[in-house]
Amino acid sequence: MKKQSDSFWGTVRKHRHFYLFVSPFFILFAIFGVYPLVFSLFLSFVKWDGLTGMTYVGVDNFVTLFADRTFYVSLWNTVVIGILYVPIMFVLAFFFALLLNSRAVPFRGFFRAAVFIPCITPMVVVAIVFGLFYGTESGLFNFIYQTAASLLPWGPVPPIPWLSDSRWVKISIAILLVWRWTGYNMILMLAGLQGIPVEYYEAAKIDGVTRFQEAIHITLPLLRPMLVFCAITSLIGTVYMFDEVFVLTNGGPGTSSMNFGLYLFNKSFVDFRFGHASAAAYIVAVVVFMMTLVILRWRKSEMAIQ
Amino acid sequence: MPIQDTQSKQITGSRLARRGGISMRVRLEKILRGGILILAAVVFLGPFYWLLISSFKTREEIFQIPPNMFPFPPTFDNFRDVFHHTMILRAFLNSCVIAFGHVALTLFFCSLAGFAFAKYPRAPGNKFLFACVLGTMMIPGAVTTIPVFIVLTKLKMVNTFWALIIPGSASAFGIFWMRQSMMSQVPNELLEAARIDGCSEFGIYARVVLPISKPVLAALGILTLIRSWNNLMMAFIVLRTESMYTMPLMIYMLLGELRTPYGMMMAGGVLITAPLIVAFLLFQRQFIQGMTAGALKG
Amino acid sequence: MKNTTRRVARILIGLAVSFCLCICCIAADLLRRNPVSTRIDIWSWNVAAKCLDAATPAFEQKYPHIDAKVVQSGTRLQSRLMLSLISGVGAPDVTQLQCAEAPYYVASGRLMDLTSVAEPYEKQFSPAFWANCVHEGRVYAIPWDMGPCAIFYKRDIFKKYSADIDEIETWEDYIALGERIYELSGGRTKLFPVSVGGMGSYFEMLIQQARGGIFDKQGRIDIDSPATRKVLRVLRRMMQSSARADVGVFSHEFFASLPKENIATYPIAVWFGSSIKDYAKQTSGNWGVFRLPAIEPGGLRVSNWGGSVLAIPDQGKNKEESWKFIEFALCTRETQLVNYRDHDLFPALMTTFDDPFFDEPDPFFGGQKVRRFFASGIEDITVLNRTKDWNEAMRYVSQALSLWATSHWDDEKFIRDIERELHSKLKRDIAPESNQGEGL
Repeated sequence: MKKQSDSFWGTVRKHRHFYLFVSPFFILFAIFGVYPLVFSLFLSFVKWDGLTGMTYVGVDNFVTLFADRTFYVSLWNTVVIGILYVPIMFVLAFFFALLLNSRAVPFRGFFRAAVFIPCITPMVVVAIVFGLFYGTESGLFNFIYQTAASLLPWGPVPPIPWLSDSRWVKISIAILLVWRWTGYNMILMLAGLQGIPVEYYEAAKIDGVTRFQEAIHITLPLLRPMLVFCAITSLIGTVYMFDEVFVLTNGGPGTSSMNFGLYLFNKSFVDFRFGHASAAAYIVAVVVFMMTLVILRWRKSEMAIQ
Repeated sequence: MPIQDTQSKQITGSRLARRGGISMRVRLEKILRGGILILAAVVFLGPFYWLLISSFKTREEIFQIPPNMFPFPPTFDNFRDVFHHTMILRAFLNSCVIAFGHVALTLFFCSLAGFAFAKYPRAPGNKFLFACVLGTMMIPGAVTTIPVFIVLTKLKMVNTFWALIIPGSASAFGIFWMRQSMMSQVPNELLEAARIDGCSEFGIYARVVLPISKPVLAALGILTLIRSWNNLMMAFIVLRTESMYTMPLMIYMLLGELRTPYGMMMAGGVLITAPLIVAFLLFQRQFIQGMTAGALKG
Repeated sequence: MKNTTRRVARILIGLAVSFCLCICCIAADLLRRNPVSTRIDIWSWNVAAKCLDAATPAFEQKYPHIDAKVVQSGTRLQSRLMLSLISGVGAPDVTQLQCAEAPYYVASGRLMDLTSVAEPYEKQFSPAFWANCVHEGRVYAIPWDMGPCAIFYKRDIFKKYSADIDEIETWEDYIALGERIYELSGGRTKLFPVSVGGMGSYFEMLIQQARGGIFDKQGRIDIDSPATRKVLRVLRRMMQSSARADVGVFSHEFFASLPKENIATYPIAVWFGSSIKDYAKQTSGNWGVFRLPAIEPGGLRVSNWGGSVLAIPDQGKNKEESWKFIEFALCTRETQLVNYRDHDLFPALMTTFDDPFFDEPDPFFGGQKVRRFFASGIEDITVLNRTKDWNEAMRYVSQALSLWATSHWDDEKFIRDIERELHSKLKRDIAPESNQGEGL
C-alpha cells in the first residue's frame, strides 16, 4: 500500500514540470470557469438580485422563462439575423480568400489588411459611424440610394427606414455584421488554404478542370475542417452577439432587433434577475452545445466517407 | 489522309483560337479581379475614411448631405474637446495596461500549458487533462458573466485592471492552438539537446520553445489583443468609476449625454482605432504565418 | 528573423513606456486631488440635475471645504448604480432615486442610515413620502419632490367649446365632456391621452383615489377589492371612449401635442409643468389646472404620481459632507422653494407651504394660483402601501391591464389572474379579508 503511493508520488515527481506548467491554467479555470459554472446552475434555482437575500424558488425561473414572450422574440431575432448574414459572409469570405491567396495579385498584403481591418475596430466606433450612415432623413446610405434611384426611370424613391422599421433593422444589422466579420473568416480560410498541398491543384490542372470546378471540387472539401471551425465560431458569435445591438439599436424599435445576447444582458444587468438570466443562459448554452456537436459530427461523417 | 489533315488543321486552329482566347480571358480576368478588389477596399475602408474626415469636421459638416469628402480647412476642435472634456488620455492608458497585461498573461499561460501538453506526453493525466481543456472550450462566456462578476466582487477586484486582465487569460482555445503548433513545429531532438546541455525545463521553454513559436504567438496575441481592446460588456460591468474606463467604454458613455457630441466621438474613434490598425499592420506577416502554423487545419 | 525580433522589441518598449506613463498619470491624479476640499459626486437626471447644479454655488459658499459636483447620471443610471451597490465600489456620494423604487433600495441595506441626523426634520416632511424612505424604523433617504396630480387643460379649447371646469365632478362627467368636444370638433380634438401600454400609471393614480391598493399594511396582496373594480370601471370607460387619444404618455407624439389642438387635457402630476414650459413656451397663459375628477360623486379628487428622493450609498467615504449636501438641498426652505419656482419640483418639505410664494399667481397658467392649488390638496392624498417589489408588481399589473384591454374586458378574470400572478412571482400571501369588503 505504502509502496504504491510512493510510486504514485514518484511518477508525479518525475513529471512535476508537466503539472507545474499546466497548473496556472487549471487554477484560473477553477476560479473563473468551474466555480462560476456551478454557481450559475445554482443561481438558476433561486431568486436573487445581488443585493438582498436569495430565495429558493425551484424551477420557477424556468417556468417564467418559458412563459416570457420576449425570450422567444429574442431567439427568433437571433435566428433571423443569423440566416441573413452568415451565408453571405461565408460566400464573400471564401471568395476573397481564394482571390487573395494567389501570388499574382498585386498589393496582396494591402487588400488582405483592408478586408480584415473592420473586425479589429472597436464596435462602439463602428456602431456610431453606421448609426449615422443608417439615418433615415440625412444618412449617407439613403443619400446614395435616393440619388442613384432618382437617375433611374422609375424616379425618386422614399427613404429606407434602416433602423426604425422592425424588418429593415434586422437587415441593417446583418449588413453591418457582414462588413465586420467577413475579413475574420477570410483570414481563417486563407490559413486553411495554405495548408492544402499544391499537388492537388497540379493534378487538377493536368485534368483540365476549370477554376470554378477546382474551387468547388477540390478546395471546398479540403477546406472543410476550417469551414467547420468558422461555422462554430459564427454560431456562437451570433447567439451571444452583444456589442453590435447594444450600441446600434439597443434592441429597438420595440424588441425587433433584440437578440439573445442582449436579452441575457438586460435580464442580468438591467432587471437584475440573476436567477432568471442564469436559467436562460443555461438553456441556450445547452442548445448551442448540441448544435456544435451536430456541426462537428457532420465534419466527422464526411471525413469518414473520404 | 485528307481526313487526317483536316482533323489536324482543325485541332491546330482550335488550339490557336484557345490560346488567343486565354490571353484575352487572362487580361479580362485581371481587370475584373483588380476592379473587384478595389471596390472591396473602398467598401471595407470607406467607413474609416469617413470616420477620419468627420473627426476634422464641425457638427454641422458631419451631418451635411451630400457629405464633403475633403474637409478643408480642417478643424481640430473635436480633438481639443475630447482632451478637455473627457479623461481620454487616462482611458487610453487604461486600455493599454489592460490589453498589454491580458495579452502577456494569455500568451504566457497558453504557451506554457501548450508546451507541457505537447512535449510531456508520458506524464500521467496528460490526455485526460487535455480533454478537460477541450471541454472547457464549449462553455460560452455569457453563461458565466454573473458568477464571474460575483467572484470578482469577492476578490475585491471590481474596478481594478485585474478584473479585465485575469479572467479569460487562461484560454482553452489558446492552449489547444499552442499544443498543436508545438507538436508539429518544435522538434524533440532540440529539446533533448538542450537537456543534455544542462538547461532547466523552464529554460527550455523560455529559450528554445518560445523563439520557435513566435509566429503562432503573434497570431494568438493579435486575436487576444482585438478581443481585449474591444471588450465593452465586461468593461461596462466591472469598471465602476470614470477614471478606470477603457476607451470603448468612455466613448460609449458619451452617448448618454443630452446632446450626443458626435464630433468628439469621431475624434475618440480615430484615437481608439489607430493603435489596433498599426499593431495589425506591423505584425501582419507573422499573424497570417502564425494562423497557418497553428493547427486550425485539424 | 532579426527584423522580427527588433520589431517585437520595439513594440514591447512602446508598451512598457505607455505602462510607465499610466503610472505617472495615476500618481499625478492622486497629487492633483486637493487635500483641503472634499469632493462629493451627485448623480441626478435631467431637470433635477439642472436644479441641483443651480443649487451648488450657494452650497459651496456655505461649506467652502466641500466641492459638490452634480453629474448628469448619463446612460443606464440604474444598471450602473446597482452594479456599484452590489460590488461595493463606484457608487456616487449622493444619488437620486425614483420614489416608487426607493423602498427597494431602502430595504437593500446598502444605503447610509440617516436616522439620527434626519430625525429633526421628520415632522416637516409629508408623512406619506417619508414612509417610503423608512425600513424597519430606520431612515435611509430623504424625500425631495412629490407628484400631486391634477388635470392640466388648455384654456382656449375649453372656451371654444364652452366647457366649464366647475361642472366636472366625476370621471363620468369628464369623459362625457370629452365626447361632446370630440363631436363638436369633428374628431379633431380629443380630451386625454391613454394608450394600451400606458394604463399602469393611470391605474396607480386612480387606485389612490379609490382608497385601494395592491398590498395591505402587512405587505399581503390585497388587489381583490371593491376599489380595484371601481378603477377598472373608470379605466374601461376611458379606453372605450371616443374622447381618448391613442397616444402613450411621454411618447414623441405626446410631447408634440403640447402646443397643438389635438389633445385638450392631461391628467398628470405637478412636475409635468416644466415639460409644458419646455415644449410649449409659446402657449404661456393658455394653461390651467383643475382637480382630478372623483370616481364617485363626493369622492376623493387628489392623487400622487412620481416624486423622487436623495440617498447616500453606504460605501461612500464622505458621508458627512454628503449629508450636508442633502440637508442643504432638501431640508432647507430656500433651496426647496427655488427648486419649485425654477424647475416645477414640488417640495415634499411641507413647511414651505406657508411661504407667500405659494400665493403668487402664475402667469404661465393664466394667473391661476397653481402652487396654492397643489399645496392645499396634499393632506388628502391617501397613502399607498408600497413594498420593496412595488416596481415589479406595477409592471405585472401594467401587463395584465394591456391583456385585459386587448382581449377580454373581464374584470373578475383580471383580478383573479393578477392576484395569482403576484402571488406566484412575488411569493407574497393573499390578504385574508380581501373580497369580503363592502359594496360587492
